[in-house]
Amino acid sequence: MARCSWISQAARIAWKDLHIEGRSREVLYTMGFLAALVVLVFSFAFISGQEGTVGPDAVAGILWVAVLFSGTVALSRTFDRERESEAICSLLLSPVPRSAIYAGKLAATAAVMLLVELLLVPLLAALFSAAIWPHALWLGLLLLLGTLGLCSVGVIFSAALLRARSRDALLGALLFPIVIPVLLAASRATAYLLDPAAPDLDPALFWTRFLAAIDVVFVVVGVWTFEPVVTGE
Amino acid sequence: MTYVALAYGFIWGAVFTYVALVGRRVAKIDAEIEDLRRRVKPGA
Amino acid sequence: MLSPMPTARKSQARFLVGLLLTMHGFFVVPWLVANAPLEKTMGIVQKIFYFHVPCAWLLMLSTFVCAGGSLAYLFRGSERGDRLAQSSAELGVLFGLCVMVTGPLWARAAWGVFWTWDVRLTSSLLLWLMLIAYGLARRYGGAGGRRLAAAMALFAAADVPLVYLSVNLWRGLHPTTKTVSSLAPGMRLPFFFSLAIFSALWGVLLALRMRVERSQARLVELELAVEDAEGKSQ
Repeated sequence: MARCSWISQAARIAWKDLHIEGRSREVLYTMGFLAALVVLVFSFAFISGQEGTVGPDAVAGILWVAVLFSGTVALSRTFDRERESEAICSLLLSPVPRSAIYAGKLAATAAVMLLVELLLVPLLAALFSAAIWPHALWLGLLLLLGTLGLCSVGVIFSAALLRARSRDALLGALLFPIVIPVLLAASRATAYLLDPAAPDLDPALFWTRFLAAIDVVFVVVGVWTFEPVVTGE
Repeated sequence: MTYVALAYGFIWGAVFTYVALVGRRVAKIDAEIEDLRRRVKPGA
Repeated sequence: MLSPMPTARKSQARFLVGLLLTMHGFFVVPWLVANAPLEKTMGIVQKIFYFHVPCAWLLMLSTFVCAGGSLAYLFRGSERGDRLAQSSAELGVLFGLCVMVTGPLWARAAWGVFWTWDVRLTSSLLLWLMLIAYGLARRYGGAGGRRLAAAMALFAAADVPLVYLSVNLWRGLHPTTKTVSSLAPGMRLPFFFSLAIFSALWGVLLALRMRVERSQARLVELELAVEDAEGKSQ
């Protein structure tokens, strides 16, 4: 049997999940639809009839709340396929290092979320006349970092809730308080990027760096706790 | 002044309630342990 | 196998000490606080801070102790660590509740509004919510509930500086915090005394709570032993 590098093992796990998802596209469609609906709901809730739109602060907030809520859906499905027919046991019995499983799952879930987000941003631009093009790449980076932050924590909790009945309710309850800093940093940076009247982009840069630092902390803790959590009682 | 009294009162109220609840649980568990010990002894 | 339970007399003595400590705090602290100098701008309402800050400190302490216990439980299978984590999380929720009640009371009396998104109070709120989530995870997390909660505790502890920093920077342009680092000399004694008493109270409650968990575990052990014995004798 060929010796596999850690990266190829993680990639293989991610690819397996994405491949299965690609066939049914269940998570993609449900998550995407939910995200779009969240944006709409916020529009009805926040836009006063006369104004017709909201400022960059609110648009950034709406984007990230939609990402958070719909992302929770994706995260609760992360280990769905492993739960059926107890595939998780076979996965754990294989010689794949746990950190590679974590990384693979993280990559797969984040990829699905990013795909939805890439569709969400133009929707926001259309609905709120948000200026997404001046800093489109930077915005993409923020989406990547923010999604990574959410998934790094969410994958752990999703794995631990594998066999729990109140999985859906608990995932959100556990995830949201922990990822507030991610939400804060990502939406602050996005708000500065979307604001045409902002004098300079130093705050956006600062928040982006802060977000990256948060991601590092969460991924480290995540890699560390994945094994004991998943090979539990 | 009422605020200070309210704040202070709440803290001690909460702490005492907690101690009371925990104390009740301790008493219950101790009673069950005693009960089990009595059941074991005659059977030995 | 659990170590032998402390004798009834020993635990009674401990309980008495705890009770004395609590009574002492109950009567002495207010006396000291009443005699402390009045703060210039806020007057008597400022005295809430003598109780509010120690509670916030205990909330943070509980979080870190919970994380420590969770660490031992997750990585070394220490049941004692798990009991420590559970007990300190409960205490964290208790003192967090005190913070969340006294904080807005102070804010209302001092600034007229219940909530000002003050950095410390907001951070405390998030920490409190995380500890509540810890409890929920334990109770409703199914088979892996304890491990889930332990992972939650570790993320929460790592999050403490992140939450504080992000909220601080978020509120950067609206400084409504009253820094309590510069204390007038007359205020130092009551404050640190109050802090010490509250911390001791926390320690006593923790010991009490852990004893409950150990008794519970011993009860289960005994029940199994009794079932075995009764099964053999049949």
